[in-house]
Amino acid sequence: MSGVDELQGELAELLTRRRAVDTDPTVREQCARIATGNDRLSPAQQIEIYREQFWLRHTSCLLEDFEGLGAVLGQSNWERLIEDYLSAHPPTSFSLRDLGDRMPEFVERSSWLPHHDLCVDMARVEWAYIEVFDAPDAAPLDPAELAAIPESAWERARLRLSPALRLVRVGHPVAAFRRSVRLNEADRSLPEPEPQNLVIYRGQGRDLHHQVLGDAAFALLQALSEGLALVPAAERAMARAPHQADQIEHELSAWFADWAARAWIVGVEI
Amino acid sequence: MTSRLGLPDLGIGVGLRVPHYRHILDTRPAVDFFEVISENFMVPGGKPRYHLSAVCETYRVVQHGVSLGIGNPTAPADDYLVELRKLVDETKTPWVSDHLCWTGVPGTNLHDLLPLPYTQAVVERVSERAKRVQDRLGVRLLLENTSSYMSHASSTMPEWEFVSAIAEAADIGLLFDVNNVYVSAYNHGFDPSEFVRSVPHERIVQIHLAGHDNLGRYIIDTHGGHVIDPVWELYRETIERTGPVSTLIEWDDRIPEFPVLAAEAERARRVRDEAVAARAALGGRAPARPRMGVPVRGAAVPQHRAWTQGGPREHEGGSP
Repeated sequence: MSGVDELQGELAELLTRRRAVDTDPTVREQCARIATGNDRLSPAQQIEIYREQFWLRHTSCLLEDFEGLGAVLGQSNWERLIEDYLSAHPPTSFSLRDLGDRMPEFVERSSWLPHHDLCVDMARVEWAYIEVFDAPDAAPLDPAELAAIPESAWERARLRLSPALRLVRVGHPVAAFRRSVRLNEADRSLPEPEPQNLVIYRGQGRDLHHQVLGDAAFALLQALSEGLALVPAAERAMARAPHQADQIEHELSAWFADWAARAWIVGVEI
Repeated sequence: MTSRLGLPDLGIGVGLRVPHYRHILDTRPAVDFFEVISENFMVPGGKPRYHLSAVCETYRVVQHGVSLGIGNPTAPADDYLVELRKLVDETKTPWVSDHLCWTGVPGTNLHDLLPLPYTQAVVERVSERAKRVQDRLGVRLLLENTSSYMSHASSTMPEWEFVSAIAEAADIGLLFDVNNVYVSAYNHGFDPSEFVRSVPHERIVQIHLAGHDNLGRYIIDTHGGHVIDPVWELYRETIERTGPVSTLIEWDDRIPEFPVLAAEAERARRVRDEAVAARAALGGRAPARPRMGVPVRGAAVPQHRAWTQGGPREHEGGSP
């Protein structure tokens, strides 16, 4: 390792410190070996400008991405969480977009959090929104392609779902709560437990939406997303939601039409 | 017209920023070119790609990056360069720029433009890598002088010598940020005219202008306001030495309505035209002018602000 590499490693450690570098005498000495300082700023104060920015930049970015989680936690718990998070998972990607990619699992592990289950739900949903926002584009289903599929082939047909769609089962109605936070609504009472099947997706205008689905429809979509052909997927869904097996049989066509119209289904493979 | 490393003079451009997308796409205002932050569009799809593609339909676009990390302990990652090259092919940018800085170490990306020690060893490291990156991208690479808030004890040369040595050794272009020269001159107590006069003018392919926040003891390069008068003068001095160079207004914080930004670009055009005329009147020589001298400490603004590169990120819009 060259002298420059060592210097950069040392500086990276200083800049990711959780506390100011100009308050600790040992650290001040270390800074004086690295930076010159000037008649206005000591070496530690020069380095502190960058350290402070490291935290400001990344914490504000995380708050932007996990606004609902921040609202559930409140200021002090949120600050503790993100300081812990950034210390455990320093940014590695060139893009700030990826900064929160380990937040859902980190929140799950952070059992000290108040409203822990709600926080886990919120982190999963908010990360899903980020993934869907810039996921690959896919052309909507071509009606001519559909019309060309012979009746007999439908049994083994595999439906291709949009890459800009995520299926998230949560224990609280977090999407609605998040909406009220983002709209800055006065009533932001924390939601009570209530299981929900959420589809988070990018619409054809490229805006993001969520849709709550019943157990049967959600189970079917899940099975399709796992790559099962239509018939086995329907059988899997019936097994997962036996109380709604009849519904699957009767509403399959309507669901299919709705999902194609929303561009959740973007292709059919025979 | 002076050919700068064979690259065209694009006129006066502005940075493409999220709050202006709607206005730009609805009204298609007259702008010579837009500069885009490459990393904002190195994603698979969705709104960022849609907006970029819509802007490219009407405008000349140049790419400017913030994550190359040319001076990092390790060379720029292969996958990053592959994605960057794809974007270059898509935007048809005539050059790609990034910063003469380091951004992180293995395992940690600091997402900042950190100053390098100005040493011969770093000149060699960076120039070697810059050559390779330029080859990989298939277009000319420009490196930008950054604003800095610390000075390395291990530096052995002034910044302008460091910048010049790398540009010459790597045979790359310079993105000369006049505001950064001023900010660093203020922060480190040197004469910005010395910087302007010492760099290889024929390698300056693009210029950046921006506002900043003066905190009294130091200046932060926030790109959050109008270009200040001393920076306009430094720009004039630069153009008198270079001739016409593609110039861009950056405005990333407290972003105003688009017409305010457009008016700033028009001011740049006037200053540039005057400087080009003054140079032409002397047969292509720069007029004699006094050096600016070390910037005088100004009045501080009350707030210490966080700064970003490239303005706010594009985020999910529409339905909350």
